[in-house]
Parts: sequence; C-alpha cells; structure tokens
Amino acid sequence: MTRYEYGGDEFIFVELAEAMSLETNFKAMAITKALREKKVSGILDICPSNASYMIRFNPDLIHPDDLISKLKELEQDVTLENFEITARAVDVPILFEDPWTHEALMRFRDRHQDPTSTDIEYVAHTNGFQSKEDLIKSITDAPYLVSMIGFVPGLPWCYQMVPNEKQIEAPKYVRPRTYTPERAFGFGGSFAVIYPVQGAGGYQLFGTAAAPIFEKEQRLHDFKESMTFPRQGDVFRYRSISMEEYEDIRKQVENGEFRYLTKDITFKPKDVLENPNAFSESVIRRLYA
Amino acid sequence: MAEQKTVLSPIPGVFYRKPAPDKDVYVKEGNTVKTGDVLAMVEVMKNFYEIKAETDGVLAQFFVEDEDLLDAGQEIAVIIEQ
Amino acid sequence: MIKVINPGLQTTIQDYGRIGFYEVGMPPSGAMDKYSYRASNLLVGNDENAAVLEITYMGPVLEFQQDVTVAIAGGEIPPKINDQYVPMWETLEVKAGDVLSFDFVKQGARVYLAVAGGIEVPLIMESRSTYTLCGIGGFEGRPLQAEDHLKIGNANQSKIAIGTRISDELIPVFSKTNEIRVVVGLCSYRLTEESKKRFFSIDWTVTTEANRVGYRFKGERLNFVEREQPFGAGSNPSNVVDLGYPIGSIQVPDGVEPIALLNDAVTGGGYATICTIISTDLDKMAQIKTNEKVRFVAVDINEALEARKLYKDKINQMKKQVLGQIGGINHG
Repeated sequence: MTRYEYGGDEFIFVELAEAMSLETNFKAMAITKALREKKVSGILDICPSNASYMIRFNPDLIHPDDLISKLKELEQDVTLENFEITARAVDVPILFEDPWTHEALMRFRDRHQDPTSTDIEYVAHTNGFQSKEDLIKSITDAPYLVSMIGFVPGLPWCYQMVPNEKQIEAPKYVRPRTYTPERAFGFGGSFAVIYPVQGAGGYQLFGTAAAPIFEKEQRLHDFKESMTFPRQGDVFRYRSISMEEYEDIRKQVENGEFRYLTKDITFKPKDVLENPNAFSESVIRRLYA
Repeated sequence: MAEQKTVLSPIPGVFYRKPAPDKDVYVKEGNTVKTGDVLAMVEVMKNFYEIKAETDGVLAQFFVEDEDLLDAGQEIAVIIEQ
Repeated sequence: MIKVINPGLQTTIQDYGRIGFYEVGMPPSGAMDKYSYRASNLLVGNDENAAVLEITYMGPVLEFQQDVTVAIAGGEIPPKINDQYVPMWETLEVKAGDVLSFDFVKQGARVYLAVAGGIEVPLIMESRSTYTLCGIGGFEGRPLQAEDHLKIGNANQSKIAIGTRISDELIPVFSKTNEIRVVVGLCSYRLTEESKKRFFSIDWTVTTEANRVGYRFKGERLNFVEREQPFGAGSNPSNVVDLGYPIGSIQVPDGVEPIALLNDAVTGGGYATICTIISTDLDKMAQIKTNEKVRFVAVDINEALEARKLYKDKINQMKKQVLGQIGGINHG
C-alpha cells in the first residue's frame, strides 16, 4: 500500500513499498518522469528514490493536499507497460581490496559486526559464497541500475539487475564510521554505492573506484555539464581491475584525459523484469562491443 | 589589593582541562598564569577553542569538571590578579 | 574589500540557498535563520538573495577597507565598531579603516552581517552559499580564515538611511528552552506508540554535534516496532530502504540520539525519519545552542501552513517598515 506523507510544509514523501525491488524502483521513476512532464507550478524538486519518491514544493503556490491528489492520480494512470528509459550503460572500474579502504575499515573494526574479518570476507560469508573472489565475481557479472542519487552530491545507489534470489545483502556497520575515503566502493542493504567525497559512512567497504563520480572543478569531459556524474536510470557495470590499471586511470584523471566508457541505451523496464539475465547480457555485450 | 577575575567560556561545548586525554592539565589550581596562557579548551561543532588567561595572576579555582558540557558565557574559573 | 583579521569560530558566506538540486544530492545550504538573514539584507537595501556572512557563536574581527552600509541581525552577539557597541537590527555606517568585532554571545547562536551590495563570490549552481562538505560556494568552499579579503558586490537595489531600524515587536527573542513544532509522518510508523509519546513529552538536550549539517539530541532511548526487516533495508530496526530526507526531518539511528537534519545535511539515507520541523521553526532551531533544551510539539499540516502565513506577514511588516522609512526617516 502506497503511503503519502507530509514532510513538514514543504515536502511530500511517497513510499511505494517498504521493500526494495526493481519493479518498485521503475514505478517511482515512471511516476516522477510523468510528474516532471506535467510541469506543475510550485514544485521545486522531484527526487525519485529507491522504493519511494519525494517532492519539495512551495506551499504558497500549491496546497500540499492538492499536490497529493495529483500524485495519487498519477499513481493510478502510470503503468510500466510502455514505459521506456533512455540512459547510459557505463563501465565503472573498481580496484577491490585496495589499500586505502582497507586502512579505513581496519580503523573501525570496533564498530563492525565481525571485528575479526574484513568487510568483504564478512559479506562473502553471510551471503554463502565460498570465497571473497566468488562475491567479487557475482558483483561484476551483472550490471546495476542506478536507482537513486543522494546522501551527498552524486552518490549513486545501485541495485543489481538480477532475479531477487541472486541479490546480495549486507548489513550496515553497527555504528557508522567517521571516515570513509573518497571514491570508496561500499555495500549496504541491497545497494552498491560509490562515496563521491570523503566523509562519514556505514556501508561495508569492498574497494575503490578508480575514476571520480563528483568533480567540483569540472575539468574532465564527463563533468562539463554537471559536477555529478551518475543519473538515475543509468546502468553501471562494475569491473574488477588490477593495481596497474588503477594507477593508469589515476594518471588519466590527473592529466584531465579520462573519459568513462559509456553507451547510450534505451530499455523497457517490462523487458528487464521479464528476463533480467537476458537484459544484463545484452547491456554488457553492447557496452564492450 | 588582589582582584578576582572570572574566566568565562565564550562558546558552549565540552570543557577540557587537558590538551589530550593522555596529557597533563594545562593549569593546576593554585598555579600562576600569565596573560595569554591556555587555561582550558572547549569543543563544539568539531572546533576546538582555547580559553586563554586575560590577566596575570593565580588560578584559584575551576568551577567546572573536565568534560562537562558548558553554556555560552558560563563561569569556568577564577584568577586572583597579581 | 573587507579584510578578515580573525575569522571567529565558524563564519561562512551564505545566501538564500542552492535550491532545485536536491535530486542530485545537493543540499540547499544557505542562511540557517532566514528571518534574521532577510532582515539584515533588507536593512542595507540588498536583493533578497544577496550573500551575507553567517556568524556562529563567536564573531569575527573584520577591517573594512571602504565606506559601506552594513546591518547585523540575528542572535545577540553584540557588535562593536572600533570597540564601541553599535545596535543590531539597524542600518549602520562604517568607514574605511573601521574594525568590526563582537562580544560574547548573549542569546541565540547565529548572527548575520549584510553589507550593501552583498558579498561577492562566484555563483555555483545559482548560489553563493558555502557548502563545506564538498568545498563549494562561498569563499573557496570553506569558512573564513584570517587574511581573507572579501569583495563587495552590487546586489543592492535601494539606499536605506543610516539609523533605519526594525521595531522591537518584530525582533525575535531567543531562549534556552524552546518549543519546536513538527509534523509527524514519513516513517513514524516504525516507532512504538510508547516511544512516539515519549518523544513529545521529554526535554531533549542539544549535544555538541549541532551545526549546519544537523543537530543531535540527548534524552532517552526510543524503540522501534519489531518486524522482519524488508528486503534491502539493512538489519537494524531503525533502518529502512534508503529514501529521501526532507530538510528538517528527524531520525533516530539505532533509537539512540535523534538527529534533526538542517541546511547542509545529507539528502537521503537508510534511517527511518519520524517527523519534520515546520519551515518557520527551522529559523528558531538555528538559534539554539549546544546544551540548551528543546521540546518537540506535534502540529498538523494546517497549523504548519497557518504558522507559515503569520511568518510571511511578519516579513511583509518588516519590509514595509524598512522601505517605508526611505522617505520618512526625518519625521521624528
């Protein structure tokens, strides 16, 4: 059951479901896209999230109850039947078990469920993988949908495009860390994230992204239009890289030449839901063609 | 004639008499202090602010305990001027 | 130019805020107490969105290198020009060479210094507000430091006579015990009925973690309804599937210490939010200091909208007063 809630006098929060699923996320995207196209006056921000969405509005221009009525109508009208998403498939290089996140996670063992193992060993174990290598293989085998942006500018929540039974789940730290290095690749709940900037954080740390996802100087090609790279609906393929490739990418970033490998794609959520494996394979084929 | 001067904390926060947990206190009660000497530290919003003596004299007494939470403008110590 | 001799505890450049980028995770930043911010800009004849200095707890020492009109409004951190006390909530004149400093904070937590023309720094995503976490906006994305030189812009629209002031009944009074109004909702279903009651019946103490990002409170433990956690939410009972956080929303990670999210806060995350501070009371929140008390009061949406209307009326009165004095200053 969808819940419509006031977030004070300037926000409406709509929870489509308590649990995460691809279908709910697609529905949030479809509703917020339709709302955007309606150009309702008084709306300041439309923030689709994982299994919910949030609107910031000016109540002097639109009464919150009128806005809720509009949103309820949209919920009735919008279907995934013909909904299409135009986005990018992106190759996202990750150095798993890198020295920097390792140093950070070792510093906060007292805040972790299992102080005797590393984050990646712990999650491999709790998800029934034989080894951490098997966990890395599972993360890199199928791409992720960028299902929400937020926390800090540009942080992508990424949900793997696989059937539910193949989803990886991980608890968040018992108490959040006060430090996470920039570009750390983390996992919490059923989401993979990249931390855009250094800061606090509670996700399990598995590695470091070689390239930035937030660049305030806007030097790199991918940041010319926006300081933040990820967009909701993008499909990220996390690729495990060696230290050698990592260092090579860092050099390209520093001299301003790095560009993400991306391909424009258009897909129907309906097709993804019907056969996630086939979709994943086709995205990876297209990305590296 | 010796005058008493009260030391106030300009900001609210956590009161520390030591620069670090494993260090000695900045000043013991009964010690002489000079203008500009650090008497204590207050932490708020992850900022550390040093409270300094604004007069020469003897630090007679602290009114607050180490790690107490202070209000802005709270009296923290008294210096007897010399 | 204004030369920073001593920056104070945390002085940042802020305007009305970076509105419209919440979707990419960009919080609005901007002045925390918008009422005082507006008053300061109004008194120097600035645009409503002009950049000012937001001063927290302890004022800076500033040397003016040009003649300019200024105004100081907000929490009572008594200002002095060349060591002489000058009034707040009033249009003041400073001359090149004058030094502005501040006494200890008497009440409130934040004060706003507006200069005619506004503080000139580059616009980042349509705003001059400082957002320190990402190091953007304001002066090089950070709080002021000694030896910074601030440029004065040309964001002033009208000339306000020196001595123009906001009348006493429009000047807020700040207290050590406060009522903050909230609308209950969002994921409040996660708290037990007993904890929901307790949330509204105890005095919460503001901890030292009280800044532009948010305020953390000490009081007592709150409990969540037991359930099997939904898929993707994480294992702690205070966890939900990561969602958007309204500005002013309150969450209770692990049930331990409630956190109210403010202007520089994270825009989303995985903790159940239980209520939201109404927009008018965010200004009040911004003037509450560490170690002061807060009692939360539940209101419904109509009461929140009514409060908003009264607040707007006050701002309009303030405008009338200040702009009305342009031609009428010499009557008395």
